[in-house]
Amino acid sequence: MDTLRFLKRFLAGLACILLVGCGKGSKETSKPAAGGDTEFPRALTLYLAGFQWGEPNTFNPLSDWPAFPVGGNFNLMYEPLMAFNTLTGDMEPLLARSFDKTSEYVSVTMDPRATWSDGQKVTASDVRFTYEIGQLFKNAPTAFVWDYISKITVDTITDSTANSLVEKITFLINKDRNNPLVVMDFLQNVRIVPRHYLEPMLEAQGGDLSALQKLKIDQNPVVSGPYNLLRYSGEKIVLKRRDDYWGNAALRGNRLPKPQYIIHPIYKSNDHFSIALQQGNLDVSSTFIPRIWMKAKDGVRTWYSKEPFFVPAAMTMFMINVTHYPLSDKNFRRAMAAAINYTDVRELAFSLYSPGLKPGLILPFGMEERYFSAEDAQKYGVSYDPELAKKILSDAGYTSEWDESGALKGMKNAKGEQVPTVFIKSPAGWTDWEAIVKIAVKSMRAAGIDVREGFVDAGIYWQSMPSGDFDLLLHAPNPSVTPSQPWSRLEAVMSSRNWKPQGEKMNENQGRYNNPKSKEYNPAVDKLLKQIPATADETQKKELYRALNAIFMQDQPTLPLVYRPEQFYEFSVANWKNFPSEENPYAPPQSPCFGAGTKALWEIESTNK
Amino acid sequence: MLKRHPTLHYILTRAGWYFLTFLVAVTINFFLPRMGPSNPIDIIMAKVGSGLDTKAAKEKEEAYLKEFGLVELDNGGAILRDESGNPVRTPGWKQFRNYILMSLQGDLGTSFLNYPKKVTEIIKQAVPWTLALQFPTIMLGWIIGNILGALAAYRRGVFDRLFFPMALLLSAIPFFAFGMLLVYQFGIEWRVFPAIGGYAGNLIPSLNWSFIGSALYHYILPFLSIFLILAGGQAIGMRSMCIYELGTDYVKYAKWLGINENRVLFYMFRNAMLPQLTGLALSLGGMIGGALITEMIFSYPGLGMAVLTAIQGNDYPLIQGCTLLITVSVLLANFTVDILIGFFDPRVKAGQKGK
Repeated sequence: MDTLRFLKRFLAGLACILLVGCGKGSKETSKPAAGGDTEFPRALTLYLAGFQWGEPNTFNPLSDWPAFPVGGNFNLMYEPLMAFNTLTGDMEPLLARSFDKTSEYVSVTMDPRATWSDGQKVTASDVRFTYEIGQLFKNAPTAFVWDYISKITVDTITDSTANSLVEKITFLINKDRNNPLVVMDFLQNVRIVPRHYLEPMLEAQGGDLSALQKLKIDQNPVVSGPYNLLRYSGEKIVLKRRDDYWGNAALRGNRLPKPQYIIHPIYKSNDHFSIALQQGNLDVSSTFIPRIWMKAKDGVRTWYSKEPFFVPAAMTMFMINVTHYPLSDKNFRRAMAAAINYTDVRELAFSLYSPGLKPGLILPFGMEERYFSAEDAQKYGVSYDPELAKKILSDAGYTSEWDESGALKGMKNAKGEQVPTVFIKSPAGWTDWEAIVKIAVKSMRAAGIDVREGFVDAGIYWQSMPSGDFDLLLHAPNPSVTPSQPWSRLEAVMSSRNWKPQGEKMNENQGRYNNPKSKEYNPAVDKLLKQIPATADETQKKELYRALNAIFMQDQPTLPLVYRPEQFYEFSVANWKNFPSEENPYAPPQSPCFGAGTKALWEIESTNK
Repeated sequence: MLKRHPTLHYILTRAGWYFLTFLVAVTINFFLPRMGPSNPIDIIMAKVGSGLDTKAAKEKEEAYLKEFGLVELDNGGAILRDESGNPVRTPGWKQFRNYILMSLQGDLGTSFLNYPKKVTEIIKQAVPWTLALQFPTIMLGWIIGNILGALAAYRRGVFDRLFFPMALLLSAIPFFAFGMLLVYQFGIEWRVFPAIGGYAGNLIPSLNWSFIGSALYHYILPFLSIFLILAGGQAIGMRSMCIYELGTDYVKYAKWLGINENRVLFYMFRNAMLPQLTGLALSLGGMIGGALITEMIFSYPGLGMAVLTAIQGNDYPLIQGCTLLITVSVLLANFTVDILIGFFDPRVKAGQKGK
C-alpha cells in the first residue's frame, strides 16, 4: 500500500513543479503593458518585418547590436544628425538642419527646435557625448569614428533666417585617413543619444562602459524620434507614436505620423514573411521573396511594378583569395569572369531582381552612374563569353581535361602540373545563394574551369572570411547605400592598407589582393583609394574613379555576379496605401523606418475606416 | 533500513545512476560545442564588424573576448598576450571550472549572441510556450492513442478495419510534413485557421479573453500536427500489443475460469502498456528538441528556435543552458517512467522483493 501512497505523492509533487514552473514563466511574459495597450487596432497599426531575427536582446543605444529599432539605420527612436536620401543623394535635415563640407572639416548646424522625449533640448552637448564616448572607450560603438575625425568644436552662431542663436558643430578631418566621405556617412548613421540621461547612468556604473552596456534601457527610454518602445517579447516589438515629437511641427508641417503603433513581428521562417504579406498581416517586409510578381494579385507590391522590381544598390560577388594558386594568376581570374553565365544567375537564382551586369565595381545607374564609364567597361572588362574564357585559358597555358562522357576531369597548367580544384565557400542552407553558386559552378565547368561548390556551416563561413581561409567566397561587401559609395565598396574590395597574410584577420580586401610586400604590388590602387575621398572636384573625382575601376577590371580581384538592392523593400496595399514607389517616389525605396524612408510614415493612409 | 524498503532501494539506485548520467551529459554538453572549428566571437564580429576597418575590428574583437571570459587577464585586468601580440585564450578546463561554479549558484551565464540577456531569462520566456504546446499534446496523444488502439484490438470488426489503416497512415507521415500540409490547406488555402504565430499579431500576452481565445485558436493547428501523428503511432503499437496479449495463456486461462471480463481487460491493458510507457518517456524527453520543427513551421513561440540559433552561432552559454534543460527533462521523464514501470510490472516488483 505504501507504494501507492508514494506514487500519489510523487505525481502530486511532479504536477506542483510543472505548475509552478509554468506559472513563473507566464508571469514573466505577461507583464502589464505600459499605458495599458494590449490590443492594437488594424487601422492604426503598421506591421513591418525583416529587421529583427530572434529574441530582442537589448535596446541600449550604446551597445553594439541592439534590437530593432535602436541598432541599424532606423530613425524611429534615436535620430542621426541628417537622413540620407538614397534615391536623390541628398542629405535631409533631421537633428541638424544643414551641413557644410570642405577638405578640412564637415560641419552641421543644429536644429534648435529638437527636443528629447523628456522635454530637454537636443544640443551639441549630446552630439559631443555621442562621439566623444568613443574617444574614451575602445568598446564604444563610436570608437572607430576617431580614425576619421580629429576634433569636434562647437560654435554658437546667429541664424540668419530666424535671427536666433544656433549651434554649429565642426568635425575636423583626421589627416591620417583624410576622408571627409566617411565623416559624411557618420552624419546619417551615428544616432545621437541623450547625454543628460546616459551620463548619470555611466557614473552610477562607476564610469565602466561595459557595465552600462549590460543595461537594457527598455523602460521608457529618453529618445528624440517619433516613436518609442512600448513593449517587446520573442514574438514582436511594439512601438508607440510619440504625439509630442518635435519634428511633427518642425519638419512635417504640423502633422502626426499616421500609424499610432508600429509592430515588428519576429518570424521564425522565411516563408512566413511572404504568407503574412499575402494575407495582409504584414504591411512592409524586407526579405528575399522569389517571384514576387506572383503575389501581386494579393496586393503585394515593390518599388517597380516590373523587372527588376527593386532598386539595385549593391553587388553580390565572389571574393577571390589571390594568394591561392591558380587564383593568383590574373588570367585565370579573368577567364572565370568570362565563364560565368550572369544572365542565368540573374534569372534563375535572383528572380530577375537585377538589371544586366556590367563589368567593374561601379554601378552603371543611380548615384554612381556619374562615375561609371561605358567606354572603359567595353575596353577593359569581360562579360559572359565562354569562348573568350577558353581562349584566355589556353593562351595562359592551361588545358582542361575531359572524360569520355564530356565531363570535366581536371586542369593542367603550362608545365603539365595538375591545377588544384577551386572551391566556392558559401553558407549551407541559404537557398538563393546556393543557387548562385550552383549556376556559377555549372557555367565555369562548362568552360573548362575546375571549380566546385563548398557549402559550409554559416559559422565557419563567417570565420573564414576575415582570415582568408577560402578560394572563392560569396559575399556582398558593404551593401548599405551611404554618401561614401562607391568608394566604400572599392575600399572594401581593393584596399591593402591593412594587408595581412592568410590566417590573420582582415576586415576588408579579404581576398588579400595587392600585397604591399610583393613584387607585383601596384601602389596606384592604394593611392587612388586615398585620393578619391579627399577630392572635391567632380571631374577629377570621375577620372580617379575611372582609373581605379579600370585597374579592377584588368586585375579582376573579385568576381561581381549580380546587383542587389540595399533592402528588399516589399509592401502590401491591403491595409495601408500611398507607400513610396516608382510612380510616387516621395521617399527612397526603404522600409518606412529606415533612414530617409522614415518620412513615408507621415504620408501613408490606412484603408481601414 | 533499505532492505526493509525495497521500493525506496530501487528508487535510490535508479536515482544514483541517473545522477551519474547527468554528470556525464553535462560534461559532454560543455565540451562538444567547443570542439567544432567555428567560434562565437567570429560570428558576432560578422554582425558588428561591417564598416570597421581591420584595426578597429581587432580592438572590438578583443573587447568581446575579454567580456565573455575567453582570454586570460593579468592582475590589472588587461589582456595577456603571447610573443606575437595575440591574446592568450582561456583553456577549456578553466572555462569548465567557471561554468560548474556558476551553475552551482544557479547562474547559467550571459548569452553571447543575445548579449546582455541572461540565459535563464531567455529560457524562462520561451519554455512556458514549449511546455504548454508539447506536454498536453503528447499526454493526450498518448492516452487517446492507447485507448483507441486497445479498443481496436478488442472490438475488431468494422471499427478496426477503418481505424487501423488510418492510424497506420498517420503514424507513417513525418509530423513536419503533416504540419506543413495543415498550414497550406487550413492556413493558406481555406484560411480557417491562422498560419503563423502563437496568438494574433495585434495582441500582447495578458490575462484577458481576447488573448486566451486567440492563443487557443492558434493552438489548434500545431496541436493537431503533433497529436494526430503521435496518437496514430501509439494506437498502432497498442493494438499489436493487445492482440498479442489476447492470445496469451493467462488471458485464455482467466477467461476459462470465468473471471469478470473487465478484470481480464484490465490485466491485459496493464501488461500491454509497459512498452508504451517507455515510448511516452522518449516522447516527453524529446519534447524541447522536437519543438523546433513545429516552431519553424508555425512561427510558434518557444525554446526550439533559441536552441537552433544558439547552436548555429556557437553561443556556448545558451547551448549549455538549453542542453542542460533537455538533459534534465529527458532524465526526469525516463526516471519517472522507470518508477512507474516498477509499480506496473510485477516482474520488476518481484525482482525488488527478491533482493
